[in-house]
Amino acid sequence: MMNATTTEGRALTPSVFVPSSVPEKTYYDLPFLKRPTWGWEIVLYFFLGGISAGAFILAGLADFFGGNRHRQFVRRARYLSLGTLLPCPPLLIADLGRPAKFSHMLRVFKPESPMNTGAWALFAYGQLAGIVAVLQSRKLMPARVQTGAERAVSLAAQPFALTILAYPGVLLSTTSTPIWANRRFLGPLIGMSSLSAACDSLALVATDKPQTAAALDTVGRISHAAEASFLAAYIRQAGETAAPVTRGRHAPLFWAGVVGAGLILPELLRSKTRGTGSRKTSLLGTVLSLAGGLALKWIVVHSGRESANDPSANRAVSRAVRPRH
Amino acid sequence: MMPELLDAWKRPEPPEPQEATGFFTDTTLCIGCKACEVACKQWNQLPSDGFHWTGNSYDNTVKLSASTWRHVAFAEQFESNGHPPRWLMMSDVCKHCVAAPCYDACPTGAIIYNEFGSVYVQDDICNGCAYCVVACPFGVLDRSPEDGGAHKCTLCYDRQKDGMTPACAKACPTASIQFGPVETLRQKARERVRELHERGEQDAYLYGTESTPEYSALHSMFLLKDHPNVYNLPEAPRRPAAQLRQNYLVSFAAALGVAVASAFVFGRK
Repeated sequence: MMNATTTEGRALTPSVFVPSSVPEKTYYDLPFLKRPTWGWEIVLYFFLGGISAGAFILAGLADFFGGNRHRQFVRRARYLSLGTLLPCPPLLIADLGRPAKFSHMLRVFKPESPMNTGAWALFAYGQLAGIVAVLQSRKLMPARVQTGAERAVSLAAQPFALTILAYPGVLLSTTSTPIWANRRFLGPLIGMSSLSAACDSLALVATDKPQTAAALDTVGRISHAAEASFLAAYIRQAGETAAPVTRGRHAPLFWAGVVGAGLILPELLRSKTRGTGSRKTSLLGTVLSLAGGLALKWIVVHSGRESANDPSANRAVSRAVRPRH
Repeated sequence: MMPELLDAWKRPEPPEPQEATGFFTDTTLCIGCKACEVACKQWNQLPSDGFHWTGNSYDNTVKLSASTWRHVAFAEQFESNGHPPRWLMMSDVCKHCVAAPCYDACPTGAIIYNEFGSVYVQDDICNGCAYCVVACPFGVLDRSPEDGGAHKCTLCYDRQKDGMTPACAKACPTASIQFGPVETLRQKARERVRELHERGEQDAYLYGTESTPEYSALHSMFLLKDHPNVYNLPEAPRRPAAQLRQNYLVSFAAALGVAVASAFVFGRK
């Protein structure tokens, strides 16, 4: 183990090479931060919860602004929202150290804790998305009244769905873990990745109308472009602390999976199939891009561990603006 | 199980606030006996961490954890920066921050400030979400693999309630760990630094007695003789929630921006 003390200690032994510069002061080069405990449950929650909220928002937009043109899409998107939402609470509960006490998440209302905000948003969104799905699944009242009720509940759920999209990255950025701490673009990165994944999932199951498919394709391209931009901005801002992602343990999956298979390849396939309408090729692109989105969330969550375990990253993010020594 | 679940929602009247208390750990007096570690383990009935030789001087405890609430650090300096060989020792502990990031992060309200101004984890409320573990800029909090909850120093809340000194301070044979009202400790700490400077120990300085633009003052303050990193302390801890509002703003703005664009796309005939 290289550290200030042993390096200096060995300076007494001439057979050992001693660098001339004074080594950085450390405590046995041990990290002082604790490692995040979050794992695959949270990755899947970020992925599925993101698809759910994204699909719900897109359904709402298509319903309000598209009139009856996208009716089939709206219905299917709402069902997809509920379907992807259902595994989320069990995943979150499984991740807790004391799953039996999960309900304590709603014991207080605490906007300064993004996790508390997320729990309340998920609770509210879950109830309302469930009601919307039930309303559209059976005829309960005159058609016009029922559609109105669906729209009203869907509208009420939109702010919560938007929160589910926006808060996960903010939650990670409100930590001391070097690769996440105060990274402003982590929020939009996760949000845009969720929206892209929602578009991809919807493209697979929600529409056979060419007009709707074309609109969805455009929205997908916009969100993928936003995702790619925020990814670049995030990596740039994280700088040296992004090492676990750009050249460390997660680098192969990041460059090949997230950037290559998830962002670049689908775009190439899309521009190739435009006009020719080869369904197989566009299907491949969509699946690749979905997998890339999942890989991105896997990497963002797991890289926190390497980052917290890296003593020099620990020291770097807590460096004083004007050093005291 | 049902009454237990409901108990969590009950809000009894909190006790009358008392004078804020804390620790002043003067590392120049520490002899590395680890009596504080032992006294803490005994009083708080904390399980053993096993025993592993680290090779890092006498530090076989390595770090604070769910089952270690005092940790003595040992830094051997054979020949550095002009001073004679020396052996630095420091008993580390929860910093009991005046504005604690773990308190902000806790989504259940399990982490509170008790009547003595100490940061306290209510074990019956904590559901083990582990957000406080990553929030703490000092790496103090830890989730126990045994009971799934987050644990750290309570500043011996139970002993304080009975007017007793926390176990570590009581056991410390050299008064390296001092307990008392925070204001008194700050005064003592400043006097001690002045005294050391007069004796020619110019490298003595205080850690955590004052707030900085980035971070609040600490109720566990330290007198150190070298750079904070030498004791595995952050040089200038940051408050994770410092930019919470802006970060939310950017995140919501991006989502809304794409939503507006999508509205146009879906509305196109």
